[in-house]
Amino acid sequence: MSVNPEKVEGEELSASTQEMAMEQFHGKAHFWGRLTLWSAIILTLSLPVILSFVLGYHPGWSAILAGFIAYGSIVAAVWFLEPMMYFPVLGVSGTYISFLTGNIGNMCLPSAAAAQHAIGAEPGTRKGEITATLGIGAASLVNKLFLIPIILGGSVLISTIPENIQRIFPLVLPAIFGGVLAQFAMKKPIYGVIALGVGLIVNMTSLVVYLKMLLCIMITIMICVWLEKRNVAKE
Amino acid sequence: MEDVMRLANSGVVWVIAILVLTVVIFQAIKFIMLAAGAGKEIGMSRKEVHSALKTGAIAGIGPSFAIIIVAISLIPLLGDPLTLMRIGIIGSAPIESVGATLGAEAYGTELGSSGFNYQAFTTVAWTLCLGGVGWLVFTALATKSMSRVEKKVTNKSEKSKKTMTIVTTAAMVAAFGNLASAEMIKGFAYVLVVLTSSLTMVLFTSLANKHQLNWLREWSLGFSIIAGLFVGYFAL
Repeated sequence: MSVNPEKVEGEELSASTQEMAMEQFHGKAHFWGRLTLWSAIILTLSLPVILSFVLGYHPGWSAILAGFIAYGSIVAAVWFLEPMMYFPVLGVSGTYISFLTGNIGNMCLPSAAAAQHAIGAEPGTRKGEITATLGIGAASLVNKLFLIPIILGGSVLISTIPENIQRIFPLVLPAIFGGVLAQFAMKKPIYGVIALGVGLIVNMTSLVVYLKMLLCIMITIMICVWLEKRNVAKE
Repeated sequence: MEDVMRLANSGVVWVIAILVLTVVIFQAIKFIMLAAGAGKEIGMSRKEVHSALKTGAIAGIGPSFAIIIVAISLIPLLGDPLTLMRIGIIGSAPIESVGATLGAEAYGTELGSSGFNYQAFTTVAWTLCLGGVGWLVFTALATKSMSRVEKKVTNKSEKSKKTMTIVTTAAMVAAFGNLASAEMIKGFAYVLVVLTSSLTMVLFTSLANKHQLNWLREWSLGFSIIAGLFVGYFAL
């Protein structure tokens, strides 16, 4: 951020101080985000390398390549699309933390949205980004808090949950999505209606999952921007 | 099969899984601290920071259960540490099981079959780890550029800033519209759950707004999930 062209009045000044604070925050987020991401990348790749070359269970490159290509053909497009498509929502810090944590659609986004909703921060603003990061960070820690003991203590615990309760587990996701959608629909009912309408139509098609998401986001954005423009023109 | 589990649950695999998890936990704590500090500077009150954290934590409980269920189903096939590592980071649980299946097929066997030996396990590890690293590499390399592009757009004028807010909000709503729709077309029970949870959210949020109940706003998503599941239980 070089010179701020705005007038130097009380309010404007505080806006530029805020801008500075945000710049600093982004700088630190880039540094720590990249450091943690690259550490995770190296650690992750060290596992198969050790299995192959230290312990000597190398399955041959052709098998590895075959597996990678088969899997890559499903996920490779998502590697690029997901970070780009969620960036406007998550911001710099939110992107680093979400893509290391994983489970973006089912955990990170709902937590970010809920946190913003709780304190009335708009997505896409400074406060919105900070709030999203706080929400996702807290959710990620809670997630680990549950995950670790269950994996260590094991499947035993889950098997003690009666069969008829286990049946409702697939319903957890629709319950989350419905709730979060309603959160937004209360603030911008029109957006909610459009998104659900577009979503239903897109999901009737037989497109691949990530294309459905992309299409739904693009179409909804276009309609909403057009609507807002028309409203402004009317006034 | 018993045998391959000895490798899958061996010390080496545990050490790496725990190191990866440590990085993830460290990052979450570091970013919370950074965000809390920056929040203060842009004028967020302590109460707001606290409330954001609490709401995020509550919102994390429901999804965690769903994630754990998938994790449990992967353990018999991949062992504890690899499951922990794959689900604990980037892994989106359903995708990982697809990757594991494909990896085993590439070696010419099946998960859990008698032909699933050390080499087959190594192939699966390669497939999952290489496949999962894609997101991390792209995010590590491209986030700075994405931020630059966004700044260029928002710095232009007040009007484009406004448009950006519309785009962001619309993108967020669209993401959930799509996620909810994908669930709703699965059947009647799913539609019912989405509707119940939505209505509960509307109800609790109105109550919270009317009576200025901040705690209710923080718990509203948790309550909506429970209400949705309660109704779903009888519909299934």
